[in-house]
Amino acid sequence: MRRLLLALALVLAASPASAERLVTQVSQDEVSITSSFAGQTLTLFGSIEPEVGAEQRFVEGPYHVIITVTGPLQNRVARRKTNQFGIWLNTSQAEFERFPSFYQVLSDAPLSNITDPITLAEKEIPLDSQARYTAKAGWWDATVFGGELTRLMQQKGMFKLNENGVVFRSDTFYFAQVALPSDAPPGPYLAHTYLIKNGQVIAEKSDGFSVRKIGFERFLGQSARTQPLLYGLVCVALALFTGWLGGVVFKR
Amino acid sequence: MQVYLPIAELSMNLFFLVGIGGAVGFLSGLFGVGGGFLLTPLLIFSGVPSSVAVASVTGQVVAASTSGALSYYRRGQIDLHMALYLVLSGVLGAFGGVATFQVLRAAGQLDLVISLGFLILLGFVGTLMLIEAARAIMKRRAGIVVREKLPNQHNWFHGLPWRVRFKKSRLYISVIPVLALGVAIGFVGSLLGIGGGFILVPALVYILRMPGNMVIGTSLLQVVAMMAATTILHAVSSQSVDILLAFCLMVGGTVGAQFGASAGKYLRGEQLRALLAILVLAVAIRFGISLVLTPGDVYSTAVIGASGVI
Repeated sequence: MRRLLLALALVLAASPASAERLVTQVSQDEVSITSSFAGQTLTLFGSIEPEVGAEQRFVEGPYHVIITVTGPLQNRVARRKTNQFGIWLNTSQAEFERFPSFYQVLSDAPLSNITDPITLAEKEIPLDSQARYTAKAGWWDATVFGGELTRLMQQKGMFKLNENGVVFRSDTFYFAQVALPSDAPPGPYLAHTYLIKNGQVIAEKSDGFSVRKIGFERFLGQSARTQPLLYGLVCVALALFTGWLGGVVFKR
Repeated sequence: MQVYLPIAELSMNLFFLVGIGGAVGFLSGLFGVGGGFLLTPLLIFSGVPSSVAVASVTGQVVAASTSGALSYYRRGQIDLHMALYLVLSGVLGAFGGVATFQVLRAAGQLDLVISLGFLILLGFVGTLMLIEAARAIMKRRAGIVVREKLPNQHNWFHGLPWRVRFKKSRLYISVIPVLALGVAIGFVGSLLGIGGGFILVPALVYILRMPGNMVIGTSLLQVVAMMAATTILHAVSSQSVDILLAFCLMVGGTVGAQFGASAGKYLRGEQLRALLAILVLAVAIRFGISLVLTPGDVYSTAVIGASGVI
């Protein structure tokens, strides 16, 4: 019993000594990819409340909120083409381990106005920080290829910084909208919310949601992975049947 | 109408897919080729990852060639004996092709090899076909009656050991060139996602001296069997066969091929061959340009490892 109390005391001591807590919610726990999936917009909303059991009955701002949404992690490679003997070919590359396939940063003001670069880097918030801490290459390659990879991911629409993506409806209530593109990679997503006051992160909160293929698409994707031989045989049978049917229908 | 492709993991317009399947099917019916050499590049240029494009088109080629192969079989215009040798060696070649495909994909050189392969192969075949067709057209203009060359002269490699009698083709030749041809077509076909009919047909005529009435049927059967094996190999090794993508292409292709075949009756043989040659060369040039021109972006990125999601 005493040990438990001690542990509890330690946990309480370790948590930031702030009077605020975040109450957050994602509009959907699950996004379903159906055959006509053309992207979807999720709403993340939350409010800033006094800590449970705190004496204070109200909270005072001004507050800032930064939300990062991270998609499933993948091993990625960035490659550079150079001209060799008149032909453009990939000659150098850098690998990135467990690199997010989707990453969006939403905030209610420009990041530089909210807090200092060191805090942002510590929390791995900026878009290019994702490449920096996942790179398997040396410092120089990690910087060069990481920068280019971040740019490519932005071009694909998978990485995005939206500095007015969080909208405050009152001093303590905000919401943000995240648009998932039609080619959003399926898998687990994590929305991480940072509450910032006077440049200091005073509370953090994580919410998960998942993007899943459902029904027929899920069935196909899974069988291709778990039963590849059967899947291949079915493909061939389908092809033979379609070809035969075409011949019969058109009496070739 | 957007349709989500579960393996390519992107949405594409259903009508676009059926449309290009139909357009390529029309051309394949017109010229009597599988159409893989047009479809794979078209898919790559419209944003499908090249590994998925190659693997899925193999499925479409099976469908496109099946109805043709069946009708030739009913007419007895397939040399099954020859096809057996070609298919067995072709599957062997396909194993090599699919393994090479995997190695190249991991090394990041798949796109380069596909581009180079198409450039060299199509450039070479297209040029030969164009020269041959132009000569035929000019001779016809000049009023010379063209006599079909009788395929009776033997080449030195026909006399190599292990001679086998192919009754239907009335050939008694060594199996070595037959097997070599099968391996080569299997390798190239599985690597580039093409049936190889447009290489196999001239090879059967000019190298093996097979009689004309057996060539098309035998080649179609070889394409069906080899591409079926390749589809399975791709499904097992790279898991990049998108059955939905392949099906959309199949539906368009099967319908388009019927119209193409009837349109083909209004054109003369050498005109058809000249048109096909120009088409083949155009695809080759398109690949050539993409290799030589400074790319819009020298950087590219790809997911490594199967399926990628951890």
